[in-house]
Amino acid sequence: MDQENKLQTLDAEGLSLKSVSLWQVTWRRLFRRRSAVIGMVILGVMVLIALTAQWIAPYDPLKVLIGVEDVKRREPPCIHLLGCPADKPQHIAGIDGNVRDEFSRLLYGTRLSLMVGFSTVTFAIIIGTVLGALSGYFGGWIDNIIMRTMDVLLAFPSLLLAIAIVTVLGPGLINALLAIGIVSIPSYARVVRASVLSVREMDYVSATRALGGSNMQILFRRILPNALTPLIVQGTLGIATAILDAAALSFLGLGAQPPTPEWGSMLGSERNQVFTAPHLVFLPGFAIMLTVLAFNLLGDGLRDALDPRLAHVS
Amino acid sequence: MNKKLFALLSVIMIASMALAACGGQKTEVPAATDEPTTAPTDAPTAEPTAPPTAEPTPIPDVPIATYDGTSLSVAECGNGYTGFIKSVVAQDANTVVFTLCKSDPAFLSKIAFSPFSIYPQEWIESTAGDETRTSEGLEHPVGTGPYMVSEWKRGESVTFTANPDYWGEAPAAETLVFRWSSESAARLLELQAGTIDGFDNPGPDDFATIQADSTLQLSLRPALNVFYIGMTNTFAPFDNVKVRQAIAQGIDRQRIVDTFYPVGSEVASHFTPCSIPNACDGDAWYDFDPAAAKALLAEAGFPDGFATKLYFRDVVRGYLPQVSSVAQDIQSQLKENLNIDAEIVVMESGAFIEESGAGRLDGLYLLGWGADYPHITNFLDYHFGQATQQFGAIPAAIYEPIALGATIADPAEAAPVYTEANNAIRELVPMIPIAHGGSAVAYRADVVNPQASPLTSESFFATDPGGRDVFVWMQNAEPISMFCADETDGESLRACEQVTEALYSYEINGTATHPALAESCTPNEDLTVWTCALRQGVTFHDGSTFDAADVVATFNMGLNIGSPFHVGNTNLWEYYDYLWGLMKKPGG
Repeated sequence: MDQENKLQTLDAEGLSLKSVSLWQVTWRRLFRRRSAVIGMVILGVMVLIALTAQWIAPYDPLKVLIGVEDVKRREPPCIHLLGCPADKPQHIAGIDGNVRDEFSRLLYGTRLSLMVGFSTVTFAIIIGTVLGALSGYFGGWIDNIIMRTMDVLLAFPSLLLAIAIVTVLGPGLINALLAIGIVSIPSYARVVRASVLSVREMDYVSATRALGGSNMQILFRRILPNALTPLIVQGTLGIATAILDAAALSFLGLGAQPPTPEWGSMLGSERNQVFTAPHLVFLPGFAIMLTVLAFNLLGDGLRDALDPRLAHVS
Repeated sequence: MNKKLFALLSVIMIASMALAACGGQKTEVPAATDEPTTAPTDAPTAEPTAPPTAEPTPIPDVPIATYDGTSLSVAECGNGYTGFIKSVVAQDANTVVFTLCKSDPAFLSKIAFSPFSIYPQEWIESTAGDETRTSEGLEHPVGTGPYMVSEWKRGESVTFTANPDYWGEAPAAETLVFRWSSESAARLLELQAGTIDGFDNPGPDDFATIQADSTLQLSLRPALNVFYIGMTNTFAPFDNVKVRQAIAQGIDRQRIVDTFYPVGSEVASHFTPCSIPNACDGDAWYDFDPAAAKALLAEAGFPDGFATKLYFRDVVRGYLPQVSSVAQDIQSQLKENLNIDAEIVVMESGAFIEESGAGRLDGLYLLGWGADYPHITNFLDYHFGQATQQFGAIPAAIYEPIALGATIADPAEAAPVYTEANNAIRELVPMIPIAHGGSAVAYRADVVNPQASPLTSESFFATDPGGRDVFVWMQNAEPISMFCADETDGESLRACEQVTEALYSYEINGTATHPALAESCTPNEDLTVWTCALRQGVTFHDGSTFDAADVVATFNMGLNIGSPFHVGNTNLWEYYDYLWGLMKKPGG
């Protein structure tokens, strides 16, 4: 008897020693992927810049330097370390078309871009999750109405639909965010619906139902937490798309309005200077590219890390 | 049951999509007309909340003209009729007599302007639709000019072919193509690639590139234009003259010209460029004085500034080569010098012109004017005449001397009158003149007789594209329509000028007038009766012969608001109205 008990305890202890949570596994797998780590590092730097922009930016991003410093409009970068004369004021990324410090504007742009990415995706995830969950869980005509509406939204190219929405609401950053949020709802709704459809047939859900759990309880406490994984991947990749779309809208003059330091609008307002002042075109473009790349790398890494079929790889 | 419900839903959805597709007429207008509450700060509302004075109950005007095919006349001048023209009479097939209500020293300069081009009488009648000209009338004008419209691919190009029966010098190129792009860098790339022969308005930063390139040439265009900040005095706080004066003194105009304008530009000392006689009579504009401006604003009751909007259209014009940058600079100056928060609102070009012209913009707006004909009346009468709505109500102190000045031929005699007018404009600040902008036209180096008209009315029949058969011209924007009797847009007028002709025309690359469809127009002693001997043997593109009845029919179409043929594109007939006065009396 004593012997038996001891074995059981050992088994239990052995099990608990081996068991690691899904998130720990995911982190471990994520850190083993170099591309995901690079993405995380870039994003970490971006977040740091966004949080500390007001301290690290050498100038006010809206301050016109005419009469303040001896600088010319659209002057190329002046970096003392690279041989720019010491008596000239240092402007790492040059001067923009309105005689403002381009580097400070780029730094503040980071804040705006990350804000755009996170807020639109959060908005889309919340609405998309609710719609997808209701659709998947209840089925029937609710499913039909919601998913057919989503199909209609998906039938339009997302940027065109966003342009149409902004045209109706009027140009501006908030409206652009709303538009991008709305057009990205369907992809989240579909992902959640698919997960819910598979999860709701599982035994533990039936068990909860048998125990008398309410629909809401089953949906939000049993099903949704288990349908979260694909949403995280989709969300991370979605941030990249949202940033790109917001930059595109601003480039077209429908998003952030001047003088807001938004990368897309900075790029758009200097688009005719691609040969005469290339730094004003390429630097905001490079910033957009870097951020989108970082989110894509991280998103890809997360997808691989969260995919149980790839478990043997790690 | 489920199937039925699904079918019903599908039908509703398809129907609503069809409705949405048919209902929206203008997709390009950013004006949020239906949902201003959701985005109060982001969209220009089409119906701004205006004080009651901004929207008086409209009483329709009464037509007063009689027209019988050879004569167009009003019974009497005055008595409610404020126009210039008393009658236009075809004395015989080749003579037209214009009788004016008051002497008009600028008659020849005005009559040469392209909106007053002559159309054949039958065409005028056949293309008059119920509300507007028919699409034939709007897109395929019939004139007597060196080129005929052969095809207008909307959104892409307009192709013209040479008129084989042209009465004047035959066009150098058999085919003329108009294209457009709003991006100066794109226009330059096309020229460098050789896909176009010339383009309007290179970016100021590209002047040096073009001059350094041996395969290209640059023609500088004199600054016969003005860029101004407009405001409508029926909207608060611009109804307060002190606010307007404060803004006038609180903007560093020299900084704008120095930073954003190309060589050949200058700060505007008066509304009209000084190369025009009488333009600069009176005191020069206020000096930049931020302290005085701030004090004035405080005196007006806004010590902490106020919030407003700064409207503009993102199109390049000679008077405003870098519109977005200038707008941002003005925005930052307003904030810095006067603590005025101006939110930038970019509008679609057509909507912007319509809203600003009707005085419906409730903030500051950036607009300008290029000379159509080289006379002070073209600047002052159009903008500050009694009928103008774009700045709200024009005070009598401004419009009275302007109206008087328009009847005096001798510049020396007119000087005191224009001194009074210019000083009143300076005092009452209906707008703030900023700059006279120099601009340029770029061509391929082998183009012979390159043009850069100070009136932006290049006549391409006289320009040889290096021996090639096709001359491809690229401008900033597509023509709005080619029925230019009822257009004001310079890009449209230039296209029309290749096709239609007026009684007089402007010299190439200059502003002097010389006879075109008229061989001469001679005035009587007090400049109130002008007798025009018409050119004989001229035929329209449709084969009909040009004669005096066509001239009378054209002016009947433009001036006689009671005529069934008085239908155009916008139906504002702005140039006919501002330069001659429509034949009408106020109703009621």
